[in-house]
Amino acid sequence: MPHRIYKAPWFIKSIFFTCSFVILIVGGITYRNMDNLSKSSNLVTHTYKVNVQLEQILSYLKDAETSQRGFIITNDPLYLEPYESGRENINNSFVELRELAKNNPTQQKNLKELNKLIDTRMDCFQKSFRFSAVTDLENPNFKEYFYDGKQAMDAVRVKIKDMIALENKLLNEQQETLQSNLKFTPIFLYVVLLMSLFLMYIAYSRIASNLKKLKTSNAQLKIFKESANLSEIVSHHGNWVWDVEEDTYTYSDNLYRLLGEEPNAFEPSLDKFMEFVHPKDVNKLKLDVEKMTETENLPFTYFRVVHKNGKVRHLKSFAKKMVNSEGKTQLIGTTADVSEETKSFRLLEERNLELERNNKELAAFNYVASHDLQEPLRKIQTFLSRLEEKDASKLSDSGITYIDRIKTAASRMRLLIDDLLQFSRTNKADKVFEKSNLNLLLEDAKQDLVEIITREKAIIHTDKFPIIKVIPFQIQQLFANLISNSIKYKTKDRIPEIHITYSKIKASEDANLKKTKKTFYHKITFTDNGIGFDNAYAEKIFVLFNRLHNKEDYSGTGIGLSICKKIVENHKGFIIAHGTPNVGAVFTIYLPTK
Amino acid sequence: MQEDYVNIILADDDEDDRMFFTDAFDELKIGTQVTTFKDGVYLMDYLNTDDCKLPHVLFLDLNMPRKSGLECLNEIKSNPKFNDVAIAIYSTSASEEDIERTFVQGANIYIKKPSSFKTLKKVLSEVVTTNWQYHTNGLNKDNFLLRL
Repeated sequence: MPHRIYKAPWFIKSIFFTCSFVILIVGGITYRNMDNLSKSSNLVTHTYKVNVQLEQILSYLKDAETSQRGFIITNDPLYLEPYESGRENINNSFVELRELAKNNPTQQKNLKELNKLIDTRMDCFQKSFRFSAVTDLENPNFKEYFYDGKQAMDAVRVKIKDMIALENKLLNEQQETLQSNLKFTPIFLYVVLLMSLFLMYIAYSRIASNLKKLKTSNAQLKIFKESANLSEIVSHHGNWVWDVEEDTYTYSDNLYRLLGEEPNAFEPSLDKFMEFVHPKDVNKLKLDVEKMTETENLPFTYFRVVHKNGKVRHLKSFAKKMVNSEGKTQLIGTTADVSEETKSFRLLEERNLELERNNKELAAFNYVASHDLQEPLRKIQTFLSRLEEKDASKLSDSGITYIDRIKTAASRMRLLIDDLLQFSRTNKADKVFEKSNLNLLLEDAKQDLVEIITREKAIIHTDKFPIIKVIPFQIQQLFANLISNSIKYKTKDRIPEIHITYSKIKASEDANLKKTKKTFYHKITFTDNGIGFDNAYAEKIFVLFNRLHNKEDYSGTGIGLSICKKIVENHKGFIIAHGTPNVGAVFTIYLPTK
Repeated sequence: MQEDYVNIILADDDEDDRMFFTDAFDELKIGTQVTTFKDGVYLMDYLNTDDCKLPHVLFLDLNMPRKSGLECLNEIKSNPKFNDVAIAIYSTSASEEDIERTFVQGANIYIKKPSSFKTLKKVLSEVVTTNWQYHTNGLNKDNFLLRL
């Protein structure tokens, strides 16, 4: 039997109806069989009665015949007595027979014929009585009548025999039909009973398995309930059910604990609960509870409770209206202790405020750096340029040298301010990623450096780059910083030459990317023929204000490469430097493809 | 003869800058008449008098006490009387926000104050000799910040 049918919810019901139907059929068939049996026994009785009456009629006739013969021989009227009563007895038997044959037209016809025959016989008797052995036995009339009597008697005998035969035949025929019905009944009943027994067995096994499942589910439910209790303790929440119509409450154990009480410490009710609520929150909570009864889903309710020991806890509640299987309205709710969350949220808010303040200060500093610091510097430079232009002739040689020194110092200060500004700008939050053609960004970077590139006659070889989603102005800045870095640290005897190459690589295939998250990276390398550096400093050079060279020899501020690192980090990439003294430096940038 | 002069106004709170400005024009020897104001309030008071002579080019410092350059720019651009006045922003900083804002509000050019007097002269002569009536047609953000 397919498992699906066995599991179907209508299965047991249909077996019940099938079995009931079978029992009805069995009952019906049994009733019919009993009926047939009694009918058959009635038939036998009926035939028996008919046969007895017929035999009796024959016997009465025989008695009459005997008495007639006795009378003829002796002429003594004593012998006539059986003859006298014979006629009456025959009539009685006829009444019985007519009654018995009332449903059988053939036998009725036969009875009439028999009656006639008997009448004829009786008539012969009557006629024969006129003669007697004493007087005229030799009378031809007597012989004739006597012979006629014998003839009639034979006819009666034959008739009665026929009738008995017919009755027996009828009995046999009817018995046969009844018997043939009865013959198959026991087998049929047996099969049907077996079938219903089988069905009942299946139904039983199904019910038994259901019962087993129910037991298992009950056991599981018990475990769930227990683990729910435990999880309530762990997650600081409790649940409650409010039977709205009967105004009764059920609290989970942990709900009592949330109120600072032992489980089942008091009879749950709204008034009792309100006793725990912080006086300032009582009215608000009462309003919320009213709302609960009106709406299906109410929003979260926040309120405070005060424990007996004076501790204040923040609670949060959520409830849902439900109608249970008995049609009663219930409010099912959960209350959680959110004191910790509230506390950390407050802390977070404070931190945010602090951060905002810091950001504002930083912005103010940026403004000071960009505007207020530049202004006096610009004026120093402008006044210096005026002094040089107008009064150079009036200055001594050392005065001119001093002015040169002041100019250099002022330029350096300008450089520092510009670089610092740039560094703080790369930190700014508004980073907009756009699909950008890296070749165009590189061209723009070269344009920014056109002065120094032409002065140093630097040669730059460039690969073809793809279009990548980046923060355009930052990548341009990155390229410009790296190129200017390479030119700045050129050797005295070589023309600076920079090779910029591109390739797309798999993170797992590059030794520098072993611990990265993304799979594919854009790899851009800047290789120069400058003075290079000791590879021991490969990481140090990216640290802010870190310089490897004396500022008299090389005019770096120690900010440029820090900016590069910052920009690459903004793109979730990596920058790695590799130096070989007097041969050159290689800067490798990895940017994730997505 | 008065009509041959190019009329120029500068509003800047910094005394040194006003001095550099007037000195530069003196040395340039273009026929100019330079008037300077200490802040935005003085400037607007002057511009709003009925018989004032409108400048050809107005140089506006952004960071000024009482009324900033941006506020002046706003007022000037909302008054059709000043439609023909070319406005040059003349500021120490060249931050993206300032450039963006002044461009949107309709300034004609943005000048970052140079740190050498020679460059200053070059810049001012460039701005004053530009035909602004013609120049406005080709105005776009890329050449808004003056580069020399």
